[in-house]
Amino acid sequence: MNRGRMRTNVLAGLAVAAVFTTAACGGNDGGDNGGASGDNGDGGIAETITIAQVQDQTGPVSYAGVGAKEGAELAIEEINEEGFLGDGVTIEMEELDTGGEIERAASEMNKAMADPNVSAIIGPTQSQQAATVAPLVGRGEVPTVFTQAGSEGVVVNDWTFRATPPMESYYEPALDYLEEQGAETVSVLYNATFPTFALLGEDDVPAMAEERGLEVVQSLAVQMTTQDFAGQSQQIARENPDAVVMLLIAPQSVTAMKQLGTAGYEGQVSATSVQAAGNIAAAGDAANGLIYPVPYSTAMEAEGSVAFTEAFEEKFGKDANPYNADGYDAMWWIARAIEASGDSSREGIREGLEQVASEGYSGAMGDVTFEGNDARVPGALVRWEDGAETLVQ
Amino acid sequence: MQDVLNATTLGSIYLLFALGMALVWGTIGILNFAHGATFMFAAFIGHLVTARVELPLLGVIAVAVLVGALISVLTQLLAFQPILKRAKNRHAAELRILIAGIGVAAIPLAIAQRQTRSTPFGLRSSYSPQVYEVFGLRITTTAIIIIVLGLVIGIGMTLWLRRSRHGLALRALGVDAETSAGMGVNRTTLAFGTMAVAGGLAGLAGALLTLQLGAIAPETGDQLIIKAFAIIVLGGLGSMAGTVIGAYVLAGAETLVLVMNWGTWVDAVSFGLIFLILLARPQGLLGRKEVRRT
Repeated sequence: MNRGRMRTNVLAGLAVAAVFTTAACGGNDGGDNGGASGDNGDGGIAETITIAQVQDQTGPVSYAGVGAKEGAELAIEEINEEGFLGDGVTIEMEELDTGGEIERAASEMNKAMADPNVSAIIGPTQSQQAATVAPLVGRGEVPTVFTQAGSEGVVVNDWTFRATPPMESYYEPALDYLEEQGAETVSVLYNATFPTFALLGEDDVPAMAEERGLEVVQSLAVQMTTQDFAGQSQQIARENPDAVVMLLIAPQSVTAMKQLGTAGYEGQVSATSVQAAGNIAAAGDAANGLIYPVPYSTAMEAEGSVAFTEAFEEKFGKDANPYNADGYDAMWWIARAIEASGDSSREGIREGLEQVASEGYSGAMGDVTFEGNDARVPGALVRWEDGAETLVQ
Repeated sequence: MQDVLNATTLGSIYLLFALGMALVWGTIGILNFAHGATFMFAAFIGHLVTARVELPLLGVIAVAVLVGALISVLTQLLAFQPILKRAKNRHAAELRILIAGIGVAAIPLAIAQRQTRSTPFGLRSSYSPQVYEVFGLRITTTAIIIIVLGLVIGIGMTLWLRRSRHGLALRALGVDAETSAGMGVNRTTLAFGTMAVAGGLAGLAGALLTLQLGAIAPETGDQLIIKAFAIIVLGGLGSMAGTVIGAYVLAGAETLVLVMNWGTWVDAVSFGLIFLILLARPQGLLGRKEVRRT
């Protein structure tokens, strides 16, 4: 290899690394919030309370961050309009974009924590980001409510809270349904490089299946970069289990559903709440009959869920999804915490979040209870049929 | 046999994507890291168009190919050409072209991410793929189209580069741009033409891959570009036949790992295999050792 060609290849290698680290453009419309009180700890409620939303507004999982932002905006509008925290008291939200990157999440979290006007933070949705910043939150002593981020290592100290229940806590209804339908054998197809799915696919689903007498006959792990599922689909079709538990990210799920059909598999497929928000719509008819448990669905009939569904539709002119519900419930949890403690300082909000968690509340996700600082909901099992969700149970 | 068929389909997908990139890198010497974004954005525009008007298969492909060619030509006109004009020599331009490609790629990626919120998008078409089962082997019409087009274009391009005058001129540029320009090869015209063809191939791959997979995400191109890069290096830079073989070697290795149910080791084993091959043949499978006069 001559020096010129070698040089080209070295440069190309550098470029490969650069592609992995290129950041998408992001926005930050944080503004002046004069009169605000973040960490003064004077025991009162400030006139303007600033909550930082440090989540993906761009990048591959931006649907979660942008969805949470919309839900939080609706909550702020309701809180401010009804004077929930007292006359003239308003909540403002400052958005900081993590752009799908762990290091950027840490940087933006540090920025938010260093701002004395920020009273609390709605933290990253991706587990890797959340687990990275959780210790920082403990050291910085800023109450942080995470949405999504379902893996371990996120709720790890007195300052970390999670408004979205971990997926494994509401996945059991899916296995119950498969058992009721007479399934005896199950294949698990999962993304092993996505922490939540790795935990669910390797530990929780096999354990849940065993409890119900279901035999896991196949366990097929794939990577985040896997795009073609023809091989896995053929393997599943050959094994022909009664059901498939599919734990994949959004684009992978569309392809897997299509290719399972092409491979001739006709059994029941159970997926995850990632398929909500219309993420499975691109699969067309191939997705009909798919079931998945969700913490929130427009089909849910709980009073808080119905009120949220209607208010969201009125404000945004579209159906709400679980990510919208995350942001809505997280912001309302913070507001209830301030009201409960009568203190909008960081310490006051932390105490209030714990107090509200000990009592639970009714929100967009129905009746929310807590294990420590971690939310739990009954959830709902829904079926995707012709472009819409319907309740299975 | 089904696994061989799956590997052939996967290899053809990689091949369609890698061909345009290999053509540009192996001839006019531009390693275009905007190729993945061109692929994705051509499919994305196809998605926007077909959301309003249902098109037949050829219509979907035509839209994607035209958009891909247009993006690629604009990239050459607005990014690569100015860099080449200002650079003192070709080596000085290389790093700037790489960075420019990454920068250009960020623009369509950001647009598509903002428009779709990174949710998957597909193509609406009156074309409905059929599934055939022959001797127990299942294959779709889309997979057949991908395999046939991949092989026809790959082999056709190899022969064209070897036997046509334009192909000879392009290869001459890849060997020594200054000398070939002195012998009458119009580098600028050929560069635009090559970029247009490469962009069209990216668009073709975008449309067919989206139809095959059902949907892609804005980030799909970024994942494919790493594989294409590996395929070109494995096959031997400048050898289109090497690219064809490299695509099927990578797909075969990946399929083998999947059959063994070592799914999380796909990239490690596949790229490890490529590394071993390159240790034995640093110039790639079909690359030629160059002799430089001193």
